[in-house]
Amino acid sequence: MTWTIVVGVKQVPDAKEVGIDPDTGRLDRANAPAVMNPPDRDALEAALSIKDVVDARVVAITMGPPMATPVLEEAVAMGCDDAVLITDRAFAGSDTWPTSLTLASAADTLGADVVVCGEETTDSSTGQVPPGIAAHNGWAQLTYVEDLEPRLDEERLVAVRDVEGGYERVAAELPVVVAVAYGEFDPRPAGLHRKLYAENDFEPIEWTAADLGIEDEVGLGVSPTSVGGMETVDPVDRRGEVVEDVDELANCLQEVIA
Amino acid sequence: MSASDVANEANDTNDADGGIDLETYADVWVFVEVHDGDVMAVSWELLEEGKKLTAKTGEDLVALVIGEDLDDVAREALERGADRVLVADDPVFEPYRADPYGAQFRAMVEERKPSIVLIGGTHTGRDFAGRVAVPTHAGLTADVTEIDVDDNGLLQARRPAFGGDILATILCKEHRPQMATVRPGVFEPGEPDLDGDWAVADKAVTAVDVVVDESETISEVLERNVGDTADITEADRIVAVGAGIEGNLEPAIDLAEAIGAELAASRAAVDEGWVDGSRQVGQTGKTVRPELYVALGISGAIQHVEGMNKSGTVIAINTDPNAPIFEHADYGIVGDFADVCPRLAETLRERDLTEVMP
Repeated sequence: MTWTIVVGVKQVPDAKEVGIDPDTGRLDRANAPAVMNPPDRDALEAALSIKDVVDARVVAITMGPPMATPVLEEAVAMGCDDAVLITDRAFAGSDTWPTSLTLASAADTLGADVVVCGEETTDSSTGQVPPGIAAHNGWAQLTYVEDLEPRLDEERLVAVRDVEGGYERVAAELPVVVAVAYGEFDPRPAGLHRKLYAENDFEPIEWTAADLGIEDEVGLGVSPTSVGGMETVDPVDRRGEVVEDVDELANCLQEVIA
Repeated sequence: MSASDVANEANDTNDADGGIDLETYADVWVFVEVHDGDVMAVSWELLEEGKKLTAKTGEDLVALVIGEDLDDVAREALERGADRVLVADDPVFEPYRADPYGAQFRAMVEERKPSIVLIGGTHTGRDFAGRVAVPTHAGLTADVTEIDVDDNGLLQARRPAFGGDILATILCKEHRPQMATVRPGVFEPGEPDLDGDWAVADKAVTAVDVVVDESETISEVLERNVGDTADITEADRIVAVGAGIEGNLEPAIDLAEAIGAELAASRAAVDEGWVDGSRQVGQTGKTVRPELYVALGISGAIQHVEGMNKSGTVIAINTDPNAPIFEHADYGIVGDFADVCPRLAETLRERDLTEVMP
């Protein structure tokens, strides 16, 4: 049996480049370059590591505007066999509910045995989309995953999960959604040959909401949550005193604990 | 009754245009997370915070307990202020798995229709919350750090956005329940009232139908290895390490012992494997509120600062004079922690602070 492994990737503003707009004092995300969500690189590595031991086809998917295509090219350069761009104005305003529905529908359409995602995205950081995909499809899920062990004969995927104060090994029946812990999978470099192919010859499959049959179930209208307001967080007032020697620092500590 | 029957029943409350009748939903639920008999501290933090919500809405505060052998936990929930406790007690729930927890919780939500559901933002809470929110089409706000409720019972769930510089208020106007996973350590737990007549109040404990059968589960825990979980959210003093310690923990431990502090870490140090994730401070870790916070080799990224902002006095030790941590510290020294810590520990030991330490 060939496993179909679907990897969710997302284009996000480069967190390192998000600056403060000098006029408004607000965060300026518009001018930050768009990059692949860093935890998704771990997800790609995890997916490809399954393919290293199991006969598998790895497909990267992203939900976003056509200009998000470079993240799919990166995924293909790293070793994904194919990639799907899910793009439609109908998705505008989607919160985690329709977003996970969309990715769940795409994974189902692709016949996924395993869906791999990063722990969370650096732009919205809810971490709710991978469990949402599993919930929409009624599939098993493995989150905070640090290591994977595919068991072809059992048609199960075993994972080492980080849990508070330790770890556990959990076996899940296919199909299964995996969210990998950030920093636990060391992404492989893209080979030059694959890079050239991804940049010059590769074209992603494009799907709209209608292609997935979910055009009435996505977007702002079906999103249960909405943003009621935004406030900038006032920094806590600290003294910011820098002392010269350890004795002085000891005085400061003693002041608190004595 | 199967899970799908429960779903169909719930759909009956939907009106023709697909909306729901918000009036049929009431009460504030708090999920009490139990692993092998131990309750996660965030559960009691949320129960205390839930009291403030029900004081405004006039509804019941309901504790929800899922696991095995839960009598003591149910009683403690009453002692800590729950008006009622719902208990799903069955071996299928121990140890935790997403699919049985999600199915059970979902069935309870669909049958009893809470207005607000608060879940600790632990690995467990963040793992199964979606398995309840998705099939019930509930609004789910992740990683909340402030909660309030308006006069109409609309939950105001606030969460850090864009790396922590902005606090976004998330609303769920047309769906129920209004669910939130709440970051551990943000709120303080209350004291249990041990003098109540809990024998009578045991009537407030309801054993609910268990809708999950082991034969229907789709996951299996093969091995679970959990030591004592460090609870840095309770610590009065904390020595925290970051990327700058480069794996050299000894000086930090030495200083922590000298001042009776718990060890904590930034995400960078946890990702390197130097310190366990249960000791991580910051946006993806815990919020701490010690009287003293000593940051060693921590640069001071906003995601970390957010988790330590409730500290009394912050002290920073860093080789980089331009590290942002100095702006978020009361006192700092530019220097190598491996050099400063032993001298600082020795100086404090010489002053014999041990006598004043708790």
